[in-house]
Amino acid sequence: MTENIQGAHQNIYKPAIMKIVDRHDEAPGVRTLKLEFQNPADHEHFKQTFRTGMFGLYGVYGEGESTFCVASPETRKDYIECTFRQSGRVTSALASADIGDLVTYRGPYGNRFPIENFYGKNLIFVSGGIALPPTRSVIWSCLDQREKFGKITIVYGARTVADLVYKHELEEWEKRDDVDLVLTVDPGGESPDWKHRIGFVPTVLELAAPSPDNCIAVICGPPIMIKFTLISLKKLGFEEANVYTTLENRMKCGVGKCGRCNVGSIYVCKEGPVFTAAEVSRMPAADL
Amino acid sequence: MTIQEQYKTRVRELLSSGTVKMVIGYKAGTTADRRRPLFIRTPEEADQLLLDSACIANLSGYLIAEGLLSDEKRVGIFLKPDGIRTINILAAEAQLNIEQIIVLGFDITGQEVTALQGETAGDFSALIESIKEGAPEALKNPLIDQLEQLNPKERFAYWQAEFSRCIKCYACRQACPMCYCRRCIVDCNQPQWVNTSSHTLGNFEWNIVRAFHLSGRCVGCGNCDRACPVNIPLRLINARMAQEVLGSFDHLAGMSDTQEPVLASFKKDDSETFIL
Amino acid sequence: MTRILLSDKLDNCVARWRKAGLTVIGPVKKETFSSYAVVEKAAEFDLGLVLPDRSIKGLFFPQTEPMLEYTIKKQAIDTKDFAPPSDKRIIFGARPCDASGLAIDDPLFGWDYKDEYWFQRRNETVIVSIACTRADDFCMCTSLKLAPDSTKGSDVLLRPLQNNKGWLVQELTDRGREAFSQIADLLQEGSEPAAPTVVVAEKFNLDACVAWLQNPANFDSSFWKEISMRCIGCASCTFLCPTCHCFDFQDEGDTYSGIRRKNWDSCSFALFTMHTSGHNPRATQSARWRQRIMHKFNYFPGKFSVNSCSGCGRCSRQCPVDMGITETLQAISTLKP
Repeated sequence: MTENIQGAHQNIYKPAIMKIVDRHDEAPGVRTLKLEFQNPADHEHFKQTFRTGMFGLYGVYGEGESTFCVASPETRKDYIECTFRQSGRVTSALASADIGDLVTYRGPYGNRFPIENFYGKNLIFVSGGIALPPTRSVIWSCLDQREKFGKITIVYGARTVADLVYKHELEEWEKRDDVDLVLTVDPGGESPDWKHRIGFVPTVLELAAPSPDNCIAVICGPPIMIKFTLISLKKLGFEEANVYTTLENRMKCGVGKCGRCNVGSIYVCKEGPVFTAAEVSRMPAADL
Repeated sequence: MTIQEQYKTRVRELLSSGTVKMVIGYKAGTTADRRRPLFIRTPEEADQLLLDSACIANLSGYLIAEGLLSDEKRVGIFLKPDGIRTINILAAEAQLNIEQIIVLGFDITGQEVTALQGETAGDFSALIESIKEGAPEALKNPLIDQLEQLNPKERFAYWQAEFSRCIKCYACRQACPMCYCRRCIVDCNQPQWVNTSSHTLGNFEWNIVRAFHLSGRCVGCGNCDRACPVNIPLRLINARMAQEVLGSFDHLAGMSDTQEPVLASFKKDDSETFIL
Repeated sequence: MTRILLSDKLDNCVARWRKAGLTVIGPVKKETFSSYAVVEKAAEFDLGLVLPDRSIKGLFFPQTEPMLEYTIKKQAIDTKDFAPPSDKRIIFGARPCDASGLAIDDPLFGWDYKDEYWFQRRNETVIVSIACTRADDFCMCTSLKLAPDSTKGSDVLLRPLQNNKGWLVQELTDRGREAFSQIADLLQEGSEPAAPTVVVAEKFNLDACVAWLQNPANFDSSFWKEISMRCIGCASCTFLCPTCHCFDFQDEGDTYSGIRRKNWDSCSFALFTMHTSGHNPRATQSARWRQRIMHKFNYFPGKFSVNSCSGCGRCSRQCPVDMGITETLQAISTLKP
């Protein structure tokens, strides 16, 4: 129930109320929540506006709001999934919320992956650790309309086997014959029964050697992984304009006012979080 | 030769002999009565040095900012007696190695600046002893006495009015050489100990918490008071706490680099039973 | 012949506006501190101040403001909005730099998502500025291509008369005309000339500065470290600035009920941009000062075609270590672009 104390006005900072309908532990300290809108008007707004790549502010009253991507695809808008690592005040509160509890959501905000421009092209997704969720939103958005895309390759790595997120979906992708999945863990992170690659993501990507012809790369990961993956993609012959990534900066408002997500002249919340590598390379590196 | 010229020569010597990598002093500011902190790294830069009765800021906070001393090289710094006491506390609290600090001591009486003889903080111990002897008198302030005359309700109203102007810019904290915490308690949010909003409660919480953290540590340099953009008389609070600590524990902050922090030390034979 | 408001009629004006339901606000000095504050009588104004210590910003974007009130029940959350105040106000004796500052921030607060807390107050407030006949060493409006009699952001501009007995009235907007129609009979026709506005010397060449800032090579210049070495990282420049607009949200209360507030925040603070991971894009004070200057004179004008500075000089005037925008831009204007 929401109401105005006085007069009719639009409070752009007021979140929607969401119910937790499911939750999973993905990896130590990493949890996924499945959320459903409580107010049909809020849900309708989401359905009208959400496209893959956009983000939201997830919150618990009394603790605050925290920014992360919408991890579910634009082809499934009955709910929102978000995946986060429990670390700060808000994520700790979200992590301790149970199924049936109410939390808040503000969004969707920002720009998106222009996946209609990817139609007919081969796609390679490169992702590391906790950064699979934004990639996963794009992956499912494409897999749900598989016929529109060419070859799909997913390269995903984490520090250890335990740190891989969405383990069930990794299994599912592995079984599909219309997806090439390359999994890797950092040296030393393997378990005795690990059957996949051992090595850092950029190295493994170079070994997989995807062809840059008619191919779009989507990369998400910690800054150090992004840095070396960009170098690897360049070696493989990818043009910067065909490489997409998302930036994660600290945000409070999500709507271009609070002033903290600037990277150079870019307001990540309004003009991002999705950028091509060409756009990122024009940003001042020291500010990233 | 004026004191300023003597010290310019001294600074040039310190730098050209390689004794120090930098000297922190003062130079002219935007207006005639303003002085700016100056970081002197070459003998030539010493030309800009200015030393007069307007050089009142306590510069010692720069010693512990952004890793200045982490290369273990020496740094020279212009300090008044309050500044010398400050680096004693910083050393006692393990924030700096006092061996790295070359003190260019001076004092101001009215319009007059005098040089203080000595090179390391320890050389000024006799001077600091004499400050302690005079402290009960020096800490007196007619405004504190006036506030003491008020009943608690009136005194509360006085501070409420003063704190109502606080905008939580934390200039007091940033200007204070004693506020060196990597993460200030107002920035700790699990749990959120202090309300960050600058409403009545948040402003009281902040200013009182800071006063307690400075009890037995504040040397009364006045940096916070001068930095406050809304002119809250912060010096009164700190001076009042200093009176209390002096009276109760015979403790004046910054006597030496081995002085125990008065509110952070514990003795088994403490007369107060509540501690155990 | 132009219309004139005589100083000795000002008290009547204040009474008239108050009677019409307007909250009357103006520069007030109390002991050691001045600000724009609510008055009941004209005598409370201090119209001789160069400008108040606090900028006008807080009247439109308060340092702390409740946004939402939440109550958590068994199977529901009640969220109540705090609507922005709708009281009608008139600010008499604003300085043109302060009024300009408000106009500068309008496009930011209206950028796609409209911040009603800002615009409701903007719409309900009449700003009557007085052109400056005095300035101090820190005033720098002319360096920002503004002037002691800029009309930007004002609804009415008053120019002090040469005989010091009142002001020439220049109505600029419908809002201003409406407020002055309520005191029309207290105004009079006159031919008394206005006093000359104060001459504020240009302190730096803005175009040269902007050219330097826009050169990507200068982002990593050692200049930033040098100029900001003495910055102590407090927020007094940003909080006193009429255009700095950064904020934070804070929930106060407990798990069952409380209030979400919008509080001033500052790019000077190290925690401002700190990621949860511990990574901080602007980890040093020099990076934060660079951001402040770049934002005001490069990024903000790139987005909104206006510099995020109105030249009031408060940043330099109040700086505990005598830094500020003036010194930085003066230094930049001597550098090769």
